Amino acid sequence: MKFIIQREQLMESVQNVMKAISSRTTIPILTGMKLEAGEQGVKLTGSDSDISIESFIPAEEDGIVYVEQIEPGSIVLQAKYFPDIVRKLPQNTVEIETDDHRNVTIRSGSAEFHLNGQDAEEYPQLPQLHAEDSFELPIDLLKNLIRQTVFAVSTSETRPILTGVNVKIEDGILQFTATDSHRLASRKLPLENQETEISFNHVVIPGKSLTELNKILADSEQTIEISVTDNQILFRTKNLYFLSRLLDGNYPETSRLIPDESKTVVTIDAKELLQSIDRASLLARENRNNVVRLITKGGEQIEINGNSPEVGNVVEEVAAESIEGEELKISFSAKYMMDALKAVGSDQVKVEFTGAMRPFLIRAIDNDQVLQLILPVRTY
Amino acid sequence: MHTWEDMKQVQPLVSKMLINSFNKNRISHAYLFQGSQGTGKREISLLFAKAIFCPNRDGAEPCHQCNACKRIHSGNHPDLHWIKPDGQSIKKDQILHLQKEFTYTGLESNQKVYIVESADKMTVNAANRLLKFLEEPSKQTTAMLLTENSHAILDTIRSRCQLMAFQPLNSQGIEERLTGEGVSESNAKLLSQMTNNLSEALEIQADDWFANARKLVIQLIEVLNNKPNEALLFINHQWMPHFKEREQLQRGLDLLMFWYKDMINHELEREEAIIYQQERDRMEQMSMTLTRQNAVSGLSSILEAKRKINQNVHPTLVMEQLTLHLKR
Repeated sequence: MKFIIQREQLMESVQNVMKAISSRTTIPILTGMKLEAGEQGVKLTGSDSDISIESFIPAEEDGIVYVEQIEPGSIVLQAKYFPDIVRKLPQNTVEIETDDHRNVTIRSGSAEFHLNGQDAEEYPQLPQLHAEDSFELPIDLLKNLIRQTVFAVSTSETRPILTGVNVKIEDGILQFTATDSHRLASRKLPLENQETEISFNHVVIPGKSLTELNKILADSEQTIEISVTDNQILFRTKNLYFLSRLLDGNYPETSRLIPDESKTVVTIDAKELLQSIDRASLLARENRNNVVRLITKGGEQIEINGNSPEVGNVVEEVAAESIEGEELKISFSAKYMMDALKAVGSDQVKVEFTGAMRPFLIRAIDNDQVLQLILPVRTY
Repeated sequence: MHTWEDMKQVQPLVSKMLINSFNKNRISHAYLFQGSQGTGKREISLLFAKAIFCPNRDGAEPCHQCNACKRIHSGNHPDLHWIKPDGQSIKKDQILHLQKEFTYTGLESNQKVYIVESADKMTVNAANRLLKFLEEPSKQTTAMLLTENSHAILDTIRSRCQLMAFQPLNSQGIEERLTGEGVSESNAKLLSQMTNNLSEALEIQADDWFANARKLVIQLIEVLNNKPNEALLFINHQWMPHFKEREQLQRGLDLLMFWYKDMINHELEREEAIIYQQERDRMEQMSMTLTRQNAVSGLSSILEAKRKINQNVHPTLVMEQLTLHLKR
């Protein structure tokens, strides 16, 4: 294998794939980074077996040549040293060459490094995904979907399947659902202009992978292509491939949990409610599970109070747009409520209660794509 | 690389059972391989893993050529998880890693294999975590637990695995080969008991340390028998300086154990089984005072001491306690 490459492009790609490489891995080869040169360009791969990132540097793009004198081949290099070497090379071009004994020579200007490579055959083979069963989304929309759901995944390993986000497509509607069995966050999105008719409902993506993906993707209007296989999911932008393993198991059926009728509906300014709950939780935080109480009052007012017997208590009245239905006293976790209000991302929210012991819903007032469900806390 | 043909020479029964399970397509979800050191547990577990992953499998025989086989051999296959003790025991974290691994789908296929080496070294915590996976196996996982002592494994785990007993290698064969290499007959007998590996045996034999260790064991027995009050002194002044490392001490305890075994064999008149052939006179003399019951309780104290050494108890204290037990 041999090629000459622009250092800047190489550095950028190396930094991207390094995000997937972890030094604490049980499979020795995964401490390395795979370099693969082909006619079209150079591909770098990094993986910690949960997520894998591939970055492609095209030989030529928009008339600018990035990679020259390509002789195809592949090698695995120690990820501990390679990025630092690339960063500190003196010139703008880098020549990388391997011999038959997997010795790698990295040349730039008058500096010359010799590294021992490993056999690329030893590297895990990532599945070849076909474009037929894939769909496209704008990147900023995907980031939104992730942000509005991923916070609700479970952090405890007792039910591993709940540490992931359930993704399904049914009747052309994409839905992300996450729950930790105390709260649930879900976001629906109709897929428009899709040529392919695909549907699946068993895909559960680990929350960690999605958080990582969210970090890597830059906000932009470009689209990202998503393909699913039996055991992996691929997110593909132009030159960056992000693969994640899926969680194995059946995701619980969540649609039955969502109440279809409500007894009390409160419409309120999201920001005001959020801030008042934040204040109430200042004292409630001392309390073991950070519980605040909401009481409906006459005259379109609600009262939020937080009480911690050792510290003191706080009472605040907030004006609501409207209150319909029965009177209500309900207690819930301030943290869950705040997370949910932030995720709804709308100025006005509609909170639908069905009694003090039943889960309640938070939705944006103008659409029902975003749905947050929280279980109340029993207090006496 | 080993093939099933090779393994049949060493472990005819186990190999046959595993090959049949392939041919009849009845691979169990968990196996417990038990057998003493050097009986081919690792080799067979690797071969079995290869057979599971190899795409060009012919009957039960993997091709040994393909990518999957090669990567299993070099430890780089992403869907094969090999857990071995980290220091003295297998820690909870290692099992946690496994646990996480099994909630994910496979990287390349949905087939997963995990091999736990020295499974008896799992902490109770770790073992209980593993148990959950043995109880609710997902479809395409196969577990192999390797151990030298299946009784040290939780009953609840043992009952959920298919047991594969590896036969001990024929110690007579090694003994003959050792004498062939010019090792004295009595030493050959001792060495063949200590290890199943010819080159390791020769290495031990060449070491001065071993000759001295042997001498010390006989001296200890002498002291215990004739001057029991000086036994503790002997342990502190002579024994401990020689057996400094834990592993060395384990060896020393093995040697001591053979003596008590010999006493029992002597009593039962199984003369051919006696290991310390040269010490016949001494044995004769000691058998006057040491009953078989004493010898048996001596053996169990030694085993107890060995276990304690494994569990990081202070070596000197263990030895002192042992001598107090033995001199009674």
